[in-house]
Amino acid sequence: METQSKIACHDCDCLIMLPEMQINQTLVCPSCSSKQFTTYNRPLDYSISYGLSSLILLVMANSFPFLSFDVQGQIRTITLIQASNDLFIQDFVFLAVLVYIFVLLLPMAYLSLLLILLIPIKFGLKSFFAVSIGRLIGYFRPWIMAEVFIVGVLIALIKVIDLADIIVGFSFWAYIGFAILFTLTANISNRHQLWYWIDRAKR
Amino acid sequence: MRNDKAKVASDIAAQKKANTLTQHFQYPPGTAAFEGLANCRSCQLLSDVNVGNCPRCNDTLYLRSPNSIQRTLALIITAILLYIPANIYPIMNTVLFNDKTASTIVGGVVLFVESGSYFIAAVIFAASVLIPIAKMLIILWLCYATSRQSHLSRPELSRLYRATEFIGKWSMIDIFVVAILVALVHITGIMVVEPGTAAQAFAGVVILTMIAAHQFDARLIWDKQKNNE
Repeated sequence: METQSKIACHDCDCLIMLPEMQINQTLVCPSCSSKQFTTYNRPLDYSISYGLSSLILLVMANSFPFLSFDVQGQIRTITLIQASNDLFIQDFVFLAVLVYIFVLLLPMAYLSLLLILLIPIKFGLKSFFAVSIGRLIGYFRPWIMAEVFIVGVLIALIKVIDLADIIVGFSFWAYIGFAILFTLTANISNRHQLWYWIDRAKR
Repeated sequence: MRNDKAKVASDIAAQKKANTLTQHFQYPPGTAAFEGLANCRSCQLLSDVNVGNCPRCNDTLYLRSPNSIQRTLALIITAILLYIPANIYPIMNTVLFNDKTASTIVGGVVLFVESGSYFIAAVIFAASVLIPIAKMLIILWLCYATSRQSHLSRPELSRLYRATEFIGKWSMIDIFVVAILVALVHITGIMVVEPGTAAQAFAGVVILTMIAAHQFDARLIWDKQKNNE
C-alpha cells in the first residue's frame, strides 16, 4: 500500500499535498490555518513508554488515598473512585456514571487499547482488531477530561480550605502525573500517526 | 408489481448517482469535495465518495456530514431548555449542624466575590456561566451564518468554531467540584454536602453542547461563495 500523498483539511476541506516534514514540525492548513498534525521524534517508542507509565500511574491513583479532610480531629479520607461512588449512593446515578466514565473508565480504556495496538506493531507482530481499535480510540479522545478534573479538584480544595485541614494523598500526585503523560501520549499518537501505524500493521 | 418496485429502486439509484456526479460542482475549487473525494471521518483517508465505505476503516463516506445543521440545532435547543433548570435549582446543598443552605451556580460565584477571592470567582463564572452561554450562542450563529450572509469573514467564523470545540469540556469543572465536595465533605452531624438537581441538568447542558459542536460540519462555513467577503 503506497503512502498517502495528500490529505484534506478537516475544517475547510482544502486539499493539501503532504510535504517532506522534519521532526517537531506542525502541518498547518494553508487556507484556514487550522493545525493538522505534528511530527515527533521516534513516535512509536515514546507513545508506548509514555502510555505505559501513564497507565501505571492511573492504576496507582486508584489504589491510594486521594484527599483527607480534617475537622477538629474528625478525619474523612476518600479515594479517587469515591468521587463517583458517593454520588451513586445519593441516587445521582446519571452524574455518578458521567464522572466515572470521563475521569477513570475512558482514560483506562484508551491507554489499554492503544498499548494493545502499538506493542505488537513495535515488535513486528500481527496486531489484532487494529482497525476497530483505531476507530474506538478516535471516538474516546474528545471525552477524556483528566485535566478538567484536576482543575475541578483544585477549585473544590480552595472552597473548603478555610473550613478544615486538607491532607493531599499520594493518589492526587499520581493522577496529576497520569494526566500530563496521557496528554503527551495522545499528542504523539495523533490520528494521522495512528492510522499510518495501522496501515503498516495490516500489511 | 415486483418489476415496478425494481424499476423505482433503480430509478432512485440512478438519480442518486446523477446527484453525486453533479454535486461536486457546488463546492469551491481546491477542496477535496470539488474533486469528488471524501475525507473519512474516522481515519482521514481521502477516497472517491462513490466507493461508499472507507477502504481503510470501513466507515461510511460523505462529502459533508448529512443533516449536520439540523442535528446541531436540535441538540442546541435541548441544551438551552436544560440550562433553565440548571440555573433555577440548587447545584448543591450544604448541611452545617442540621442547618441546610442551598446554593445555585450564580450563588456560588457571588459567595466567592463576597469573600474576596476574585480570581476563583472569575474562573467559576467563566466556566459555568460565560462559556456555556457563549458556546450555545456561537453555535446557533454559526448555523445561521452558513445559510446567510454574515458580517464576519470565513477565517473568523472558522476560528470561532475551533474555539468552541476546544473550550467545550472545560465547563465540566463545576460538576467535578460538586463530585469532589460531596465525597470529601461528609462528616455526619457536623458538615455534609449533598448534590442538587441543577448538577444533573448542567451536566446535560455541557454534554449536549459538546455533541452539538462535534455534529456541526465546519466545512460548511467554507462552502459559501466568495462574494460575501
